[in-house]
Amino acid sequence: MPKHYRPPGKKKEGTAATFITRTKAVRNLQVTLPHFRKLCILKGVFPREPKKKIHGSEKTYYHVKDINFLMHEPLRGKLWDIKAYKKKIKKARGKKNKDMVERLLDCQPTYKLDRLVLERYPTFVDALRDLDDCLTMVHLFATLPAMESEHIQVDRIHNCRRLSHEWQAYISRTHSLRRTFISVKGIYYQAEVEGQKITWLTPHALQQVVTDDVDFNVMLTFLEFYETLLGFVNFKLYHSINVKYPPILDPRLEALADELYALCRYIATGSRTLSGNSQSGISSESEQTGNKKMNSESEESEVRLAQLQHQLPANERGALMNMMEDVNGADEEDQDTKECKSLFKDFKFFLSREVPRESLLFIIPAFGGLVSWEGDGAPFMETDEDVTHQIVDRPSLGRKFLSREYVQPQWIFDCINARIILPTEQYLLGRVPPPHLSPFVDNEAEGYVPEYAETIKRLQAAARRQVLPLPGLDPMDFSDPGSLLAEGIIDRAEANEAAEQRQKLLKLEQQYHDELKMELQGVTFSAVASKGNSQIPPAGDVEVEEGASKALDQVAEDELNLSKVSMSRRQRGLMEAIQIGKERKRNKIELLKERRKNSEANRKG
Amino acid sequence: MAKLKIRDKKVKIAITKDKKKKDKADPEAVPELPAEYSSPTRDEEHSDSRDVSQSSDSERSCEINEVEENDLHHPAEESDSSEDEVAPRNTIGDVPLEWYKDEEHIGYDIAGRKIKKHARKDKIESFLAGVDDSKNWRKIYDEYNDEEVELTKKEMKLIKRLLQGSTPHTEVDPYAPYVDWFDWEDKGHPLSNAPEPKRRFIPSKWEHKKVVKYIRAIRKGWIKFEKPEEEPRHYLLWGDDSTSAESKRQGLKYIPAPKPKLAGHEESYNPSLEYIPTQEEINSYQLMYEEDRPKFIPKRYESLRNVPAYENALKEGFDRCLDLYLCPRTRKKRINIDPESLKPKLPSRKDLKPYPSKCYLEYLGHSGPVKSVSVEISGQWLASGSTDGTIRLWEVETGRCLKVWEVGQPVNHVAWNPLPQLPILAASAGHDVLLLDTGLGDAEEQHRITELLHVEESASTDDRDLVSWAREEMYGGIRLKHTKAVANVEWHRKGDYFTTFSRDTKAVLLHQLSKKQTHNPFKKLRGLAVSAVFHPTRSIFFISTKNHIRIYDLLKSKLINKLETGLQEVSSVAVHPGGDNLIVGSKEGKMCWFDMDLSSRPYKILKTHPKDITNVAFHRSYPLFASSSEDCTAYVFHGMVYSDLNQNPLIVPLEILRGHASSKYGGVLDCKFHPRQPWLFTAGADSVIKLYCH
Repeated sequence: MPKHYRPPGKKKEGTAATFITRTKAVRNLQVTLPHFRKLCILKGVFPREPKKKIHGSEKTYYHVKDINFLMHEPLRGKLWDIKAYKKKIKKARGKKNKDMVERLLDCQPTYKLDRLVLERYPTFVDALRDLDDCLTMVHLFATLPAMESEHIQVDRIHNCRRLSHEWQAYISRTHSLRRTFISVKGIYYQAEVEGQKITWLTPHALQQVVTDDVDFNVMLTFLEFYETLLGFVNFKLYHSINVKYPPILDPRLEALADELYALCRYIATGSRTLSGNSQSGISSESEQTGNKKMNSESEESEVRLAQLQHQLPANERGALMNMMEDVNGADEEDQDTKECKSLFKDFKFFLSREVPRESLLFIIPAFGGLVSWEGDGAPFMETDEDVTHQIVDRPSLGRKFLSREYVQPQWIFDCINARIILPTEQYLLGRVPPPHLSPFVDNEAEGYVPEYAETIKRLQAAARRQVLPLPGLDPMDFSDPGSLLAEGIIDRAEANEAAEQRQKLLKLEQQYHDELKMELQGVTFSAVASKGNSQIPPAGDVEVEEGASKALDQVAEDELNLSKVSMSRRQRGLMEAIQIGKERKRNKIELLKERRKNSEANRKG
Repeated sequence: MAKLKIRDKKVKIAITKDKKKKDKADPEAVPELPAEYSSPTRDEEHSDSRDVSQSSDSERSCEINEVEENDLHHPAEESDSSEDEVAPRNTIGDVPLEWYKDEEHIGYDIAGRKIKKHARKDKIESFLAGVDDSKNWRKIYDEYNDEEVELTKKEMKLIKRLLQGSTPHTEVDPYAPYVDWFDWEDKGHPLSNAPEPKRRFIPSKWEHKKVVKYIRAIRKGWIKFEKPEEEPRHYLLWGDDSTSAESKRQGLKYIPAPKPKLAGHEESYNPSLEYIPTQEEINSYQLMYEEDRPKFIPKRYESLRNVPAYENALKEGFDRCLDLYLCPRTRKKRINIDPESLKPKLPSRKDLKPYPSKCYLEYLGHSGPVKSVSVEISGQWLASGSTDGTIRLWEVETGRCLKVWEVGQPVNHVAWNPLPQLPILAASAGHDVLLLDTGLGDAEEQHRITELLHVEESASTDDRDLVSWAREEMYGGIRLKHTKAVANVEWHRKGDYFTTFSRDTKAVLLHQLSKKQTHNPFKKLRGLAVSAVFHPTRSIFFISTKNHIRIYDLLKSKLINKLETGLQEVSSVAVHPGGDNLIVGSKEGKMCWFDMDLSSRPYKILKTHPKDITNVAFHRSYPLFASSSEDCTAYVFHGMVYSDLNQNPLIVPLEILRGHASSKYGGVLDCKFHPRQPWLFTAGADSVIKLYCH
């Protein structure tokens, strides 16, 4: 008898055995559909695409192993328990047994997702890799209003706010923010943590539109997992910079809704005390006890510190400067971080009321700037003499300080993306700022470079003291070696290397040039290859001489057609798809170019 | 009676009340008593008790006053219990009197003053006093209050009645008729007259049981009153990542969800102007299909403060959630290949030379679309038939028009006799097939031709015949008159037989030139014939209908094979000179290559032309074949057939020949190879014949 005896007539192997439909899975698991959904979301189980959909193409299929995985999940039992408990409460309520209801409500069974987080993300890097959705969701919920009708509790919203601020504080503190982008949908941020690029979107800090075509149950289940995940990630991150988690915040700042600032201060002070403690030398053997002690000590000190801060005047500059100066661990930072850290090093910003404060409070310190705002708890006032830039977003301003520049918030974002301090003329108060470009687009790969991107590129090059050829040069001009030489040396520091490279470049250029000439004369590459030099133009061939380009197109098309004829149908389809894709891309670029031409014409006319 | 009784009790109450109000109540109020209240009995009482104590008398009068007032206000609301209401003068309560036996006082009055004991009379004295007083028997000593009470007459009566066992008051009628003050009928709830049950006075058994249950539940920990201790919510979940055993994910291989697409320039709040579509473009989106419509329309805001909340933020978040848990995830290899690599590896065209590639000569002269061309077997002469009703004879090398036959009807097809010594041209024009003497060749050949083309007039008068063989008067030769328009003429390789068929009848006719006979051997043909071709070496005949090609053995006159083209409508057929391969052109622009040794299905289907294929042709000696189409092009292919049966034929597209102008009659209508040279003749609807050379 085989190991797995299968009774005759029961055909169960292959796809039929490895994939089951959702209905069957739900029945096997003995849970309700909402619970199944919840389990799937929390466990990260998703449907699979079997090669052959045996039970119908409209059905959803799950892998049997996935379902077995769910089957052995303790959470399933917990959900059962909770369901039974709810029934108990309902029953007590029905019997008007108020005491019992209260007692039951007091100690409801709960479940924890810690183990699930570890199971889904066995290493920390795995968790970071999947953090994009998590952060976007948490930031979205942080801006949502609490809605009882949708079971969105206030404490969840607060938790989301707290988690997002903790994350931002960490990013800001470690200067790991890389790119930012204000889109219509919100503000995108991209940070680099442990080599992972993490991108998230925060909605604009406005009242969100709550639509009714959204199933909040699903979203809240996701949020549940994401909250846990982000909590643990934050813990790990704070642990890595020697700060205690969860942080104890200055209650006054918290009351003023400046959690981020409070957190920043907390981290700064916390890391200082803790690093001091760890430097005092705790042997590795007695680390556990030491840690415990340290924790308790630090806890005490935290509390004291929080109290102390509470007593301190908020705009006490000494503490803030301390915080900024006391950035440790410079040795392990990479070039990128250093660059980011020192971008706004010499600047002091003041935010007007109308600018998105939370975002800027997060960004500016992340790039090494000092920032204050209008309101209570601000570290310095508007009248501070040292303020170099004031971020405003209004058509005009009554009173101005001559010592500072009044710029629009976009300037900050563009500076960050370009990694240079851009000239402020275009961003000044009351002007329409230049176009805000996405830092996530590879313009070269896309095939279209917006005008302002070129400007920024030139400015970047200028900042690095390099001379790049002027944009908009024709390839013909570029291929001219003389002009290239006249453009200047590409790299002055390494003259000989550059010279070699230039030689190579010139050679390639020359070759390209020749080919171009040949093509213009009406010889295709294939023709050159096939016919070689012994090509005699036939007397009857009138068309080729009529229009070289037309004939060339014709030849190319013929070439394509001929190759298509001998292809298999599958390959032909693939090729056509590729061509359609290319064509679409080209059309898009063409459209952009045309619009640009039109707008330029409008501007002139 | 009941009222009176109550009033009596009131008196008692009033006494106590009055004791409290002693100082407040005005004694002068007595004479002002209303007359009605001073009943004669009362007066009597008063007079009786007057000598007992003056003060008490005055008190009583006051009491009455009060009582009557009270009575006025609350006539029947006093309680029935009488005992408690006579508050005694002494306030010590119900304590044994012997406690005060040795004291000088008997107790305290309501103000807390001691009430002194009266001087105790000795027994004799009291006896003597009793003897003297006739009313002594009525006097009772009240120990409690330490006074003698003289019972009134009324009281005596009352006592007497009580002793008799009747009602104390005479006014009470114990047998009065019962008045049911409660109307039972209308009320929903009867008042129970049942005595209080015993269970009301003993602790409940069930309550006890419940309590026991709770106690047990609490003891065993089923009911918990305090919440479980909260553990720290977050801790260091990921230790050092070096432990590889733990850092392995369980279960199936994890497929991470694809990350959402990052925002491009167009999503900016302030994009460059070129990213913003014009109003017309936005309007044109409405005309698109919903799935083609762009999801996001870029918009420009002059400053950051103008940017509103994004209305789809929640929706997009939700969609992402749905994608994460509802979408099947599979790993798909992203095809990022160069389209060049898709092209099959074919031998270089240079190696496959020679083949026709360049237009070398044009034969001009026809005034209508040239429907058909045919090259003489020696390769020196070219015949062409056109819809302008002429057949022309050309010299191939020079392009000179040698001869023109004015037929009068549009010529559908021309074909040279394949024998070099018999330069006879067969042409189908309208209902007729003409066998023309071209006048080429030497005298001996001419003689044979004229002999061959001689027809007796009488032989062809029979009406039953399918075809009548007649003499062509104008040009000399034979005119075969058909009943329907003839589409095609094909010669047998030996030059004696030829076949004709029409597009209107199913009949495919075989004609024998030497005997001037006509047969119709294929009676059971299904569908109309599209093309009919002789096998180049064997006596096999191919008839093509719309979808199938039937292969007949002419000697045995039976069907050998049937080829399924799978095409919608076959337009032309050509047989490889080897005889085992066949190409079929169709009206949907596809060309099929059949290897008849291999299968009855196509070996290869080549999708060449976008329009109808008009003709296909094999070269007699070179491994070349060609197709001509309505789209004004002709394709030249290399088609090598190997003698080794295991090796499949090699098909390489070589060249697309252009040059014909398109007209309303179509593009290229016919193509034929030169019998010796790798040259191709194409006949165009633009009335030009072109020669393509290598």
